[in-house]
Amino acid sequence: MTVRTDSPTQRVVRRRPIRGTGGRTATLFLAPFFGVFLVSMIAPVVYAIGLSLFAERRSGLGFGGAERVFVGLGNYADVLSSDTFVGGFGRLALYCLLYVPTLLGVALVLALLLDAAVARARRAFQLLLFLPHAVPGVIAALIWAYLYTPGVSPFVSALESGGIQIDFLSVHMVLPSMVNIAVWEWAGYNVIILFTALQAVPREVLEAARVDGAGEIRAALAIKAPLIGAALGVALLFTVIGSLQLFTEPQILSTATTAVTSTWVPNMWAYDAAFNRNNLPQAAAASIILAVLAGALSWVVTRFTSKGRS
Amino acid sequence: MSLRRAPLTAAAFLAAGALLAGCTSGSAATPEASEEATGEITFWSSLSGMADVAAAFNASQDDITVTFEEIPNGANGGYTKLSAAIDSGTGPDVVGVEYYRLPGFAAAEQVVPLDELVPAETLGEYGDEVRELVTFGDATYGMPYDAPPLIMWYRQDVLDAAGVDVPTTWDEFEAAARAVRKSDPDAYLTSFFTNEPQLAPLSWQAGGQWFGVEDDHWKVSIDDEASQKVADYWQKLIDEDLVKAQVGFSDEWTADLNNGVVNGWVGGSWSASSLMTRTEAAGQKGKWVAAEPPSWDGEETGALSGGTSFAVTENSENQAAAAAFLEWLTTDPAAVEARGEAGTAYLAYPGLNDVAEKVAPTGYFANDIYGVFDAASSHLVGGWSWGPDFDITNTAMTDSVATAPTLGDALDEMQSATVDGLGQLGLDVTE
Repeated sequence: MTVRTDSPTQRVVRRRPIRGTGGRTATLFLAPFFGVFLVSMIAPVVYAIGLSLFAERRSGLGFGGAERVFVGLGNYADVLSSDTFVGGFGRLALYCLLYVPTLLGVALVLALLLDAAVARARRAFQLLLFLPHAVPGVIAALIWAYLYTPGVSPFVSALESGGIQIDFLSVHMVLPSMVNIAVWEWAGYNVIILFTALQAVPREVLEAARVDGAGEIRAALAIKAPLIGAALGVALLFTVIGSLQLFTEPQILSTATTAVTSTWVPNMWAYDAAFNRNNLPQAAAASIILAVLAGALSWVVTRFTSKGRS
Repeated sequence: MSLRRAPLTAAAFLAAGALLAGCTSGSAATPEASEEATGEITFWSSLSGMADVAAAFNASQDDITVTFEEIPNGANGGYTKLSAAIDSGTGPDVVGVEYYRLPGFAAAEQVVPLDELVPAETLGEYGDEVRELVTFGDATYGMPYDAPPLIMWYRQDVLDAAGVDVPTTWDEFEAAARAVRKSDPDAYLTSFFTNEPQLAPLSWQAGGQWFGVEDDHWKVSIDDEASQKVADYWQKLIDEDLVKAQVGFSDEWTADLNNGVVNGWVGGSWSASSLMTRTEAAGQKGKWVAAEPPSWDGEETGALSGGTSFAVTENSENQAAAAAFLEWLTTDPAAVEARGEAGTAYLAYPGLNDVAEKVAPTGYFANDIYGVFDAASSHLVGGWSWGPDFDITNTAMTDSVATAPTLGDALDEMQSATVDGLGQLGLDVTE
């Protein structure tokens, strides 16, 4: 609208770059995004980097007030030499190893089933599958923590009366338990992505396959699945980045079991540093390390998946 | 001498009331020089029932208006919120801080010394063991509120069924744990909280001293002999399945209490209200007794389990009013009465526990619980310090108790994590 009400002189000025209205309109439309991006993303990152280079130093017994000193990369060295922080990456890797294939596998199977289902049932299933995703992550984790806790969970007691003793919150089971929560929460979302891609698979290709004698299963595995590789790549990217940020589920479960420590994954380590140990510079350093890793990983994943496509 | 004059004058103004209130308005901008105790102050605490206390104070006089806000407890981010609020200038005037956390706020200069704000006679009334917990350097940073002794709670009927008395030594405690297991294979005498292990008060009670000052250095000795003895003792009970290692304050624990799976609690005087809320519906009224912690060598010793002090933050622009409220809150019987049975408080200031006993739910228990609290308090071991930054130790404790092979190993990990962490803060530390 503003373009229309411009005065003639302004129009002249605007035409001078010869490029037409594209650049300016684009700037106008992009400005709000970059404004918010700058304030909510770039500025905090810059602030965190600044924060991570300093440390509070007290002296003697510590009651003479604290002094802020420049320590360079000292905080990074402290963070990286912390066994619990580094150990968190091990747990995170294990989680990814279990979570990513399970989630994508489940989502792909469900999407293929949806695609093969009759039109009317499809809507209902789509909604049902997506429903868990509408539950906020914290609530989901709380519900599951309740369902896992022996003594209060109807589920666990039912299993027990059936002669099956499982402690979902034990040291060995807590990781799969956590994966289960995340899959429950995210499967529906990924099904939608994959299902949308499946809708775009040319029907004539499927018809050709059918004429050649491929059944539903064969068509799904040999035709549909390979054709939605790009969508799978996107889902993979989101899932990997999402798992790097793993926080809610372990944080909630840590109140129900000691198998999840307060520094269980790197994000929790940073949280603990900031809010329990009151060491903001170390928390900033840990967060920057995580951000760099997430950036590197998403670069690798996008490169890998786009190569796979070409 | 101006040290003492300010609060005394403040008290005088409080008494004189509105008559003098208007005369010195404007002095609030320079808190040190402020001689009036009027105006509005804010008060944050995570303790239950404090809203009623603030309301009672407001009703009792007209000069100071207290606005209360409940904050989450430390484990749920209350101190984080407080610390951030003080740093950004939006903190309260008066705040409740547990003893273990007070040194951190004092070291960061987020709370102010009270020696100029509260009469020395008032501070002098406290017992040394408690006074030590709020005194750092030469300054007093908090008014002790409660001094809850470490207390053992048992189901008397379960002990009777197992044919044992309330244990008076730790050897007897182990025998009782064995007897309870034997009389009912599903039952345990008590649980060991893996999330909030009572290792600190138990070590304190055994004569351990995790922190001390030696030649202007913090001496960290979390793995000292007494603490190792405690760790080995509980590890043995856990290994032999004589106590139930579990997450305290969890749904599972509450269910275990109700179902008679767990029949005791290594808690504090504050456990009484909590125990009643959790077990009343299961018809356990009149079945619980309080007892002093068992002794190691026949000589009774005691420790504190938790406890809160109240402090004035550096944000306070009306320190005189804050101090007046602080004093009332921690030393006036009316404050105890107003809180009612919400807390089962065992207070630090002398003479208040008669009132506390009257409002506490003592009828729920089978013995004279305040008598037990008094006895446990009289055996309190002095000299305990929470060190300059116990949060470091706390994180290491919850993590290592969950992951280390034994509690003894956990103590070693806590020791090294604490020494490293304090060193990283630039403090002078020795082992």
